[in-house]
Amino acid sequence: MADLPMMPAQRTRMTTSFFRKHKLLLMPLAFIAPAFAMFSLFVIYPIIQSIGLSFTQWQGIGPKTWVGLNNYRMLFNDAVFWTSLMNNVYWLVLFLLAPVFGLFVALFLNQTVFGIRLVKSLFFFPFVVSQIVVGIIFAWFYDPAFGLLATVLEPIGLDMPPILSDETLATFGIILAGLWPQTAYCMILYLTGLNSVNPEVIEAARLDGAKGWQLLVKIVLPQLRAATFIALVVTIIGALRSFDLVAVMTEGGPYNSSNVLAYYMYDNAIFRYRMGYASSIATVLFLIMNVYIVWFLMRLWNNEKGTR
Amino acid sequence: MADVVLKNVRKSFGAVDVIKGVDLEARHGEFVVFVGPSGCGKSTLLRMICGLEKITSGQLLIGDEDMSDVEASDRGTAMVFQSYALYPHMTVAENMSFALRMAKAPRAEVDKRVRRAAEILQITHLLDRKPKDMSGGQRQRVAIGRAIVRAPKVFLFDEPLSNLDAELRVQMRVELSKLHNEIGATMIYVTHDQVEAMTMADKIVVLRDGLIEQIGSPLDLYTAPDNRFVAGFIGSPQMNFLQGQVTGVSGIEVQVAVPDAPDHILRVPLRRTAQVQVGQNVTVGIRPEHFLGTPEGPGLEVRIDVVENLGGIAYAYGKTNAGQELILKAESERPPHSGMVVTASINDAYCHLFDDAGQTLSTSAGAIRLRDAAA
Repeated sequence: MADLPMMPAQRTRMTTSFFRKHKLLLMPLAFIAPAFAMFSLFVIYPIIQSIGLSFTQWQGIGPKTWVGLNNYRMLFNDAVFWTSLMNNVYWLVLFLLAPVFGLFVALFLNQTVFGIRLVKSLFFFPFVVSQIVVGIIFAWFYDPAFGLLATVLEPIGLDMPPILSDETLATFGIILAGLWPQTAYCMILYLTGLNSVNPEVIEAARLDGAKGWQLLVKIVLPQLRAATFIALVVTIIGALRSFDLVAVMTEGGPYNSSNVLAYYMYDNAIFRYRMGYASSIATVLFLIMNVYIVWFLMRLWNNEKGTR
Repeated sequence: MADVVLKNVRKSFGAVDVIKGVDLEARHGEFVVFVGPSGCGKSTLLRMICGLEKITSGQLLIGDEDMSDVEASDRGTAMVFQSYALYPHMTVAENMSFALRMAKAPRAEVDKRVRRAAEILQITHLLDRKPKDMSGGQRQRVAIGRAIVRAPKVFLFDEPLSNLDAELRVQMRVELSKLHNEIGATMIYVTHDQVEAMTMADKIVVLRDGLIEQIGSPLDLYTAPDNRFVAGFIGSPQMNFLQGQVTGVSGIEVQVAVPDAPDHILRVPLRRTAQVQVGQNVTVGIRPEHFLGTPEGPGLEVRIDVVENLGGIAYAYGKTNAGQELILKAESERPPHSGMVVTASINDAYCHLFDDAGQTLSTSAGAIRLRDAAA
């Protein structure tokens, strides 16, 4: 019994001595390798491929023709591209209301009252629902003939414009629909953040004479920085990749007035077979997103350094 | 002049009464310690004084002004929390000056007071640090500094030392006492640790279930507890309690038989107000140090289970023949060893007698001496 485990132990020591020596270096690499392989195959490779595609003309089948920067030249002269880009800017700016609303809902729900858990789950509900469903619900809601909004506003004499078929209103109608689940998401982030705030710190601040708004701005908000950061990141990324709501509610219409880059790309690729052109839109969107991704990574990097 | 006066103060959370009528005075410059087991309401009482909890009924005076319904920040109190409750995103200087900045005090004044408080606490070199970069003891100082800067009429401490390690706790205890001498402000201090209460207090308030059991100086409570609860709570290790029966009353002296020591009739002086009848059951309380050292004459036979030798002092834990657990103080140089049977004779003069309701019947020699010394 005593010398039985000795034999294999000795053998492994000889064969894996390199592994043993570099265990601390090799083990993390071994753990990361599968994820890295998947990520490379399904994320990094398609990105490079799609950037390459943006310099060609291709219909999805048949031969690809190298056209250099032609697609980009076309893009910058395309009015729909600029409308879509502008709409993305609207999305970006207005979507930033989601963290603000989310914070206030979280502050409101952060109390211990009977039944508060039910209320919290009800507020979280829109985030669980698929974006497609949210889009359909809001499309019904806006419907000028039978929609809830029209039904409510008509009796009090207010005339309901057909929001989703109005050139100037359509985008804002969709953004409002998008804000609903986004606010719920930010609320959850803030609720978790509020949970980790030491109640004695709040009491200390009250004793120190901070009340209401000052208490929120000077004591509570600074302690929610981590939550605010994540909320901002997911909201910005969410605004830039807005697609499903546009697809379900207006398909970019009327006359492309509510189009966004992601949907315009999809439209070009799937319905018009302009893979090269669609790829150039994707590349532009990717570059815009990179600004935020780099900001995010730098923040993360600095935080990591700080905790070391 | 009394800095803090509580008059029949009560607190209920819904149907639950937490504080059931408390009357209390803290004189100017006094160090008052609220002590009691957890759930006795001591922290609630403190929070009512500073204004974090509303007073259900009764009156609170601070510096002769009725403060029962005044905003927490306007009561002239400053609190030091158990978790220190420092603002994590602010530097030490910002933490300490926050209250003054909220009150829009002039900058020069704020700086001066922060600097002064930092000097008192010797944390000037930490002023630019954030709480997360400091040790527990340093955070504790900052929390105290935050209170000092406000120059309050009354300092309130809510178990401020319980998050520190044992060594640091002893050190901070001494420093808090020094600080109290130095700034001379009224301090109210909540703790469940009776050692902190004994070592720091001018006046101890023992609380149980929302009521005051006794108020007095540390020695008062130690030598002349008003009831069995206080007797058992104050003093470490705990007072021993034995069952006894009154066998005779002669004037101010009562004779008590303890079944564990059949041949020793205790003679204990009575309190003037106490009513005792022959045959009445009483509880005899005796502290570990009040057994006579040399086992001469009659006493209790005690089989020693465990000996804790602290070097300067030793405590022996054992059982009497009847199975009653007993703690004895022993000589640290020649301590008994476990398994040994010793005879412990009770020093009558230091006995306490309690009736069935737990009220004290006796006057112990310690109390008499204390009274004589005061006179």
